[in-house]
Amino acid sequence: MHATLCDMIMDLVQNSIEADASEITLSVEETEEKLMVVITDNGKGMSAETLEKVKDPFYSDGLKHRHRKVGLGLPFLFQTAEMTGGTAGIESQEGVGTTVTFTLDRSNVDVPMFGDFTTAAMTLMTYGFDVNLKIERSIGEKNYAISRAELNDALGDLNDAESLVLLKEFIASQEADLGTL
Amino acid sequence: MAKMTLEELRNLRESKKKEMVQRDGDEKSAQIIIGMGTCGIAAGAKEAFDAFLDELNSHEIKDTRITQTGCMGLCFSEPTVEVAVPGMPRVIYGNVTDKVARRIVREHIIEKALVSDHIFDKPAADIIK
Ligand SMILES: Nc1ncnc2c1ncn2[C@@H]1O[C@H](COP(=O)(O)OP(=O)(O)OP(=O)(O)O)[C@@H](O)[C@H]1O
Ligand SMILES: [Mg+2]
Repeated sequence: MHATLCDMIMDLVQNSIEADASEITLSVEETEEKLMVVITDNGKGMSAETLEKVKDPFYSDGLKHRHRKVGLGLPFLFQTAEMTGGTAGIESQEGVGTTVTFTLDRSNVDVPMFGDFTTAAMTLMTYGFDVNLKIERSIGEKNYAISRAELNDALGDLNDAESLVLLKEFIASQEADLGTL
Repeated sequence: MAKMTLEELRNLRESKKKEMVQRDGDEKSAQIIIGMGTCGIAAGAKEAFDAFLDELNSHEIKDTRITQTGCMGLCFSEPTVEVAVPGMPRVIYGNVTDKVARRIVREHIIEKALVSDHIFDKPAADIIK
């Protein structure tokens, strides 16, 4: 379905935005062996019953896609984890929020490519309204954290072409500083 | 590239703002809305976003906003992009690859001519006065 892990991460963060979260934290950590991702939101959450169903590709809440009853975001995550000997979990409480966690083995050949995190982060930082997204990122010992609130404060309207160019440069410079493993 | 600080980011933004001639209000600026739902992402909507940004930047076009929306329900022609330029009909383009995104910037936004071979939908002729 998705070509890269970044696409998958985007999809999961969008779920949080679509659940009307006002605070979302995305943490992406890479070590020599593993990729660890945690997405926490304070959105509407899910009932135990819904939570059971979301692992099923033939379940979507019926609101997002009027002509389609299939949700693909979460099943794709569980499938990828299962196929590659990784782990994936989801915890949710109605009215409180949701946490999605997964850990993948970087050396497994069936794990999709990581993809372009800079563009994914720029896209997520400018998707939806009034969501304070925080991104925490680390590779080995190096790390950085950015939040939509502080970017907004520095750049003003994040959606105008000029802010977007600067935003992308900014994120690219943080990513470059992380180096590679 | 040295790691940029928020302070440097703010200063860059402010110096660019000063260079810019004051324009009369947001109404005049073009809008690009990219469908960034699951199907859009899978079909390359992020790459289209990058291409729009790069092309706008290389032509030094500042007064354009790029926003995103979830699923537009047009999964079969993703990536889909809606373009609204003041004084022109609103148009939805389908199958917007990197190349098509760049053409939209040059032809639609700069030259004010529709990229007819990628139009997915536009208002019927009789409702455009
Ligand atoms: N963070 C979350 N908070 C609350 N509900 C969620 C969250 N993530 C997923 N869900 C619920 O799980 C369902 C399935 O999610 P999934 O991402 O698999 O499909 P979808 O979002 O409905 O469709 P798609 O991702 O294909 O656009 C959603 O419709 C939603 O009801
Ligand atoms: Mg989803």
